[in-house]
Amino acid sequence: MKKFLPLLTILLIAAIVAIVFISLSKKEKMITIQKGNIQKLPLKIEKGHVNDTECKMIITDTTYAAEAVAPNGDTWFFDDPGCMIKWLKGKPFEKEAKLWVKAVDTKKWIDAKKAWYSLTDPTPMHYGFGAREVKKDGYINFEEMRLKMLRGENMSDPRIRKRLLGL
Amino acid sequence: MDIFLSNQVQIFLFSESIIYLISLIAFIASIVIVKEWNFNSTSPKQYKLEKRSFLIMTIIVLTLWIKIALLAYFVYTIDSISVLIPGAMCAAGVISANQYGNPLLFLKIALLFLTGIWLILNSLDQKAEDYPYFKTKLWFYIAVFLLLSAEFYLDFAYFSHISTDDTVQCCSAIFGLSGDNHIPLNLNVLTLLAIFYILYILTVLLSIQRYPFTLFVISLLFLYFAYQSVVHFFGTYIYELPSHKCPFCMLQKEYGFVGYFLWGTLFLGVFFGISNFILKILISYEDKRLYRFTIIFNTIFVILCTLYVLIYYIRNGVWL
Repeated sequence: MKKFLPLLTILLIAAIVAIVFISLSKKEKMITIQKGNIQKLPLKIEKGHVNDTECKMIITDTTYAAEAVAPNGDTWFFDDPGCMIKWLKGKPFEKEAKLWVKAVDTKKWIDAKKAWYSLTDPTPMHYGFGAREVKKDGYINFEEMRLKMLRGENMSDPRIRKRLLGL
Repeated sequence: MDIFLSNQVQIFLFSESIIYLISLIAFIASIVIVKEWNFNSTSPKQYKLEKRSFLIMTIIVLTLWIKIALLAYFVYTIDSISVLIPGAMCAAGVISANQYGNPLLFLKIALLFLTGIWLILNSLDQKAEDYPYFKTKLWFYIAVFLLLSAEFYLDFAYFSHISTDDTVQCCSAIFGLSGDNHIPLNLNVLTLLAIFYILYILTVLLSIQRYPFTLFVISLLFLYFAYQSVVHFFGTYIYELPSHKCPFCMLQKEYGFVGYFLWGTLFLGVFFGISNFILKILISYEDKRLYRFTIIFNTIFVILCTLYVLIYYIRNGVWL
């Protein structure tokens, strides 16, 4: 029995080391910020590997995705344009930041400040502001969308939702 | 500063001050004794020193035992003042109310272990005929006293910086789903539990085989992983709520004050696990009884944790 104990001890220590190594090797590195985007271009979002900086959700659907690029090239990712507006509020580069949104109609990354926004889209965080490249009746511009978002006048408010959808 | 109106805080700080004052006297006397001590001498001076050292040792033993009791009272105090601080639901919010809280708690736990080592050292020294560890224990006390001074400063710094106006975070915000409290090393609950039980078995095996250094390392790892296991798994069965993750709420009356017993057995098990290695470094001595105590207290701790889970399953037929 006494000869068996040291062997068992070594095996158990090895088991702990193995468990820790296997756990660490499975670690998925989530991206929340990408540095060095000096050209301020929209970056590809790898689904399931990028975190929304505002709502902390993992971005699994890029239909309504948005990106904010700071003057120094730091880029943040969002699953909903509303998240980007909330996050950007009060940042020192709020005005200078280059903002990108994924257009629902053309599936392209477009300048968020030149985009048009629907009020009733099923966006991930239920704010409702889906970006469009082509203007249609009922769409609003970036500044209106920003104000509505910051005032809380969006689809996440049950009264606004009722008024917009008539439900 | 309103916090000083609390009875518990007043009692705690008053007791700490008295104990610190006595410790300071013992510290000054210890320096004099350690400088002039010569057990082989038969001079009146040595005779006087021996008489004085007996008094000083008695004072130190008394103060250190009271310090151990005061740690429990400190935990009780911060738990009881949680009703005075906006946002705090238990000691978790109070301890993180300012930057001094967590360092103070860690220092108190470290001092608990060092105090215990000193008491064992003193007991071994007094049992021997020629006080073989006398100087070692005095130097050790001098080192402990320096930490006691840091603790005394932190006690006052901590309580004087607790605001009764500012909102603090409750334990759900610190340890729960919304907090930044993930299981370490990318482990999940199952692998965390596997490590917890393997480490427990290792503490038993190493105690049987009497390997002080390996037991020292494994005991410290057991302390860390046991803490994580209680916060992330066993605690939820104590609270019977899967989202309630807190190491402090179990100290409250609603949970039968089980936290005192649970953490007490863990600290005792870990203390006895690390003490033989420290004794070996200080005085080249090993106490076989300490190995037995390691097994006993760690086993009580593991059984208690496991029972909460099993009883919940037997009663409800589901896991949380």
